[in-house]
Amino acid sequence: MRCCDVERLWDEMREGVEPQREHVLAHLRGCPECQEIYRENEGIAYCLTCLPLVDPPQSLVPKILDHIKATVKIAAPDSITRVESPIGRLYVAFRHTGITAVAVDRGEDEELVLAKLQRRLGRGLIPSQAPQWVTDTVTAFFRTHHSDLDKVDISELTPFEQSALRAAATIPPGEVRSYGWIAEKLGQPTAARAVGRAMARNPVALLYPCHRVVDATGALHQYAYGVEVKARILALEGYQSKGATPQAARPPR
Amino acid sequence: MSALAAPFIGDHYRVTAPATVSHPVPGPETFESIVDDYQRRLYGFALRMTGNREDAEEIVQDAFVRAYRALAKMDPQQRAELRLQPWLYTITLNVTRNRLRSKRPTNVALDALADPDALLNETQEGPDQPEHIVDRAADMVLVEQALLQLPMHLRAAATLRFIEGRSHPEIAEILNQPIGTVKSHVHRAVRILRRILGPQVGRIVPSDRPSAAEEEE
Repeated sequence: MRCCDVERLWDEMREGVEPQREHVLAHLRGCPECQEIYRENEGIAYCLTCLPLVDPPQSLVPKILDHIKATVKIAAPDSITRVESPIGRLYVAFRHTGITAVAVDRGEDEELVLAKLQRRLGRGLIPSQAPQWVTDTVTAFFRTHHSDLDKVDISELTPFEQSALRAAATIPPGEVRSYGWIAEKLGQPTAARAVGRAMARNPVALLYPCHRVVDATGALHQYAYGVEVKARILALEGYQSKGATPQAARPPR
Repeated sequence: MSALAAPFIGDHYRVTAPATVSHPVPGPETFESIVDDYQRRLYGFALRMTGNREDAEEIVQDAFVRAYRALAKMDPQQRAELRLQPWLYTITLNVTRNRLRSKRPTNVALDALADPDALLNETQEGPDQPEHIVDRAADMVLVEQALLQLPMHLRAAATLRFIEGRSHPEIAEILNQPIGTVKSHVHRAVRILRRILGPQVGRIVPSDRPSAAEEEE
């Protein structure tokens, strides 16, 4: 055992369990320099432990809690519930300002679905019972294919996402429009791709009908819950895509 | 002579880590109790890292806000797997780092002591003063100053190790470094402190303790 090893092992020995302990102690007995280093190290450690423990001011906890309330108001968790529908089970997240998310259950693990939603919303979700207004809003959609947008809260989305979704909400049930159509409506004709992204990230499926937005050829393109689900919802709304060449059936404007 | 137990190598003196506070599962709903349980510890840590009460207070506030935000975004499994205490230390350390970086030159205000008034009486104190009237508070200022002279990463390692009493694996987790690196940082920190504090150490530490070798014989 060399001096440098002995010095290195000092801190570990303080933990009490150290297989090389005997070797270190044996070395120390014969090495006054190491003894001195050990003594000094212990002195340093002792000095540090002697530093006074200063209590935070009494006001710190209330300050922290207020700070959290003020800066992360939006991060208060939403509630989440399940609602049965003609296209299967839906996960519906809501808070008192409205429904904040609707996800279609595709047989995925529930925890996975919730995790995805939490990430999208940027806040927690607490499972709870569905209040009447939530169930009513969802069932009304399947009955009328219109949704009461006052009961849907998209205020946390980006301004562009919000306006793209509002534009999508003007598409009548039973019809579809293209991404480019929405982009034009927003006065940004070149933003079709951005519209596509906004639709893909739509947290409130169905209620904001991103399923009515298709690509320029009329092909259903994509849907967060699968193109088959998109087709089923559109079918429920009376949209008829004729066979394999949908662009011939009803060219989107 | 100090009433504090004299430290020396062996069974008489061990690193004692305060018991880890355990929570069922951390989350926004239980956050208030998390704040209650950890604010004191994190404040103490931030204070040692900055040497400044005001900074420490703001760092702890900021750290808890960050923790809250992060927790709100976690799914139940992530929350269940979260090791709260090291995680909170890590956040506090990150906030401290950012703050000190943006606040150069470091304002080494020595107001971290329990009783600042005691210091005022020590202003005439010099190296040639008789030992018996050298106040312990003044010695603590020296120790504190020495700690603040260390580079950030060594200060963090030394503070976590000796003041917070954390184990090597826990420090490795907090600093996100291999255990070997932690050990070497602790070691280097002690070396530098030894150089800075030098002879003063002997005055602070009770001198009647046996050396390691004597103890074993």
